Amino acid sequence: MDWPTTCLEVLNEDPLVVKNPKNWYHSHTYGGWGRFFKGLRECKLLATRCTNPACAEKRLWLPPRADCPDCWHPMEWVEAPQVGRIYTHSVVTYPGELFKLPPGTPLISVEIEGVCTKLMSWLKEGKPEFGMKVKAVFNTKRPTNTILDLAWVPA
Amino acid sequence: MIRFGPGNLRIPRFEKPVYVVAGGVTDFRKRYPEKNTCQLCMEALRMAVEENDLKVEPEEFRRMVNWVVYSQFADHFGDQLLAAAKIHDYLGFDPLGNIEVKTGGATGGSAVLAAAQAVASGYATCVPVVGWERMDEVSTRVGNSYIASAACKDFESELGWMYAAYYALMAQRYQYENNVPHETLAKIAVKNHLYAYYSPFSQNPGKYTVEDVLKNDIVSDPLTFLECCVMSVGAAVLILADEETAARLTDQPIRLKAICGGSHTLRTADRRHMPILLLPHETEEMYKDYFRGRRTEWPGFSSFLASRMAAYLAYNMAGIRNPLEDFDLLETHDAFTISDVQTYEDIGLRPYGRGREFIESGDAYYEGRLPTNLSGGLIGTMHAVGATGIWQMVEILWQLQGKYDKFHGDPKMWERYGKKKPADWRSLQVKNARRGCAISHAGTGSHVTCAILEKP
Repeated sequence: MDWPTTCLEVLNEDPLVVKNPKNWYHSHTYGGWGRFFKGLRECKLLATRCTNPACAEKRLWLPPRADCPDCWHPMEWVEAPQVGRIYTHSVVTYPGELFKLPPGTPLISVEIEGVCTKLMSWLKEGKPEFGMKVKAVFNTKRPTNTILDLAWVPA
Repeated sequence: MIRFGPGNLRIPRFEKPVYVVAGGVTDFRKRYPEKNTCQLCMEALRMAVEENDLKVEPEEFRRMVNWVVYSQFADHFGDQLLAAAKIHDYLGFDPLGNIEVKTGGATGGSAVLAAAQAVASGYATCVPVVGWERMDEVSTRVGNSYIASAACKDFESELGWMYAAYYALMAQRYQYENNVPHETLAKIAVKNHLYAYYSPFSQNPGKYTVEDVLKNDIVSDPLTFLECCVMSVGAAVLILADEETAARLTDQPIRLKAICGGSHTLRTADRRHMPILLLPHETEEMYKDYFRGRRTEWPGFSSFLASRMAAYLAYNMAGIRNPLEDFDLLETHDAFTISDVQTYEDIGLRPYGRGREFIESGDAYYEGRLPTNLSGGLIGTMHAVGATGIWQMVEILWQLQGKYDKFHGDPKMWERYGKKKPADWRSLQVKNARRGCAISHAGTGSHVTCAILEKP
């Protein structure tokens, strides 16, 4: 048997440090909330609501959940309003690796009437301000198939 | 909204008293190729066993150990699954039982909690807690991306791949609701970088001014680099024991009066409002007119329910009536300046909305009412995540034993790490310190532990 042909590059001799490359992917399932991501391709903002008539809360969840956290019953899909207000915002100057938007992108959390959460998203146009009215826009041209396919612009 | 049932708010109890007897650390560095992870853990263990005035020889100590708890945040970083098994063997503890704990940034606190549960139940009598993180195998940018995989990868990680950004969103909202000047946040950074200056273990010490902090590069507005924790390599060890074993090991055992944990949603987005959970010294009257103006809900983005929950349980467990009066020193998880102000309120140092006063009044400083992060904190000294919560308690242990100077002031300790003790070094030993508190914190508040250590 011959010696292996793939070798680790030496980055430093003393102490000995070698380069350990990784080149593969994970196949990640969105599972029970895949419908939300497919909905973005059709310009739909899909949330979920509990189907249990006895549930004390029956809130509208966005991000959606397949199961109700309050009574553990299955949830059903409901379209959420596509307008909201900016609850908070920050411009990220030094994002981490894998960020698909340029540094300087304003990140926002959006308050939507009737929804019990404050969805994290990004502002595609304009300068963010507290309480600013915004409407949803969707990346239908070349979807990234991530949450980035949803963004907001001033309404 | 979260509705508590009576079982949910049961105050935890230890069946047997739990003691902390010794602690050890490495120094903390951004990159540490000179030593591998096994060696770093050995170094921290050796310091704990050999330099804490234990009354037994190391070999005898080893014969007393009957359970070990390991603490590492991210397998991503170390790139070694079951690293605990490798380290356990390297430390010579085979074939004793062990367990590895993982709760993000609060991993260290949770590991001590798990060890305390073992001692308190009688399962074990002598338990080393060993924590580490090796964050230097990847670039800082990739490191931030790894850390952001501890946000929800479906709905939040993509928005920045950067934890500072998630905290910045909270910071902006907190400032909008409470009108805290950035100068106040900067003072926390100045304080912790300065206290790190007196520690031989610290990675990012410095004598900065408020202006330096404000003019520093912004990571995600409003947070600047000097307001964010460091990314570190290093290890820490804390040794827990029951009463009898503690007495055999040391003349200065410190009681772990309480350690309790709370949690909240990983996604900040999903935090629903609820009535404020009151601490022993708070009343409903205090918050009667609270939800006016810009603040309309609790906990929202401005408060950590997990911290409040952990403090509620730990204060009741340890009989703390008022933390500002009952504690002599405090270690918070100052991952970012803003989270520190939020924490001051969550653990009851000031009522909600008035956290800024804790720093502005001078309470948080050495020789103030409740000196906070005399260790240099995560901003100045280290955040080798799996080691962090353990190291915080090591620093409190040494303070309560009156050993701050022994570990921070000996010129040989500085030389050990290739450093020179500063000519203007000063002691941060708290005089007559009796009781200390440590907060270990994960995510944007997904897990928090509150530990209370006390001189018997």
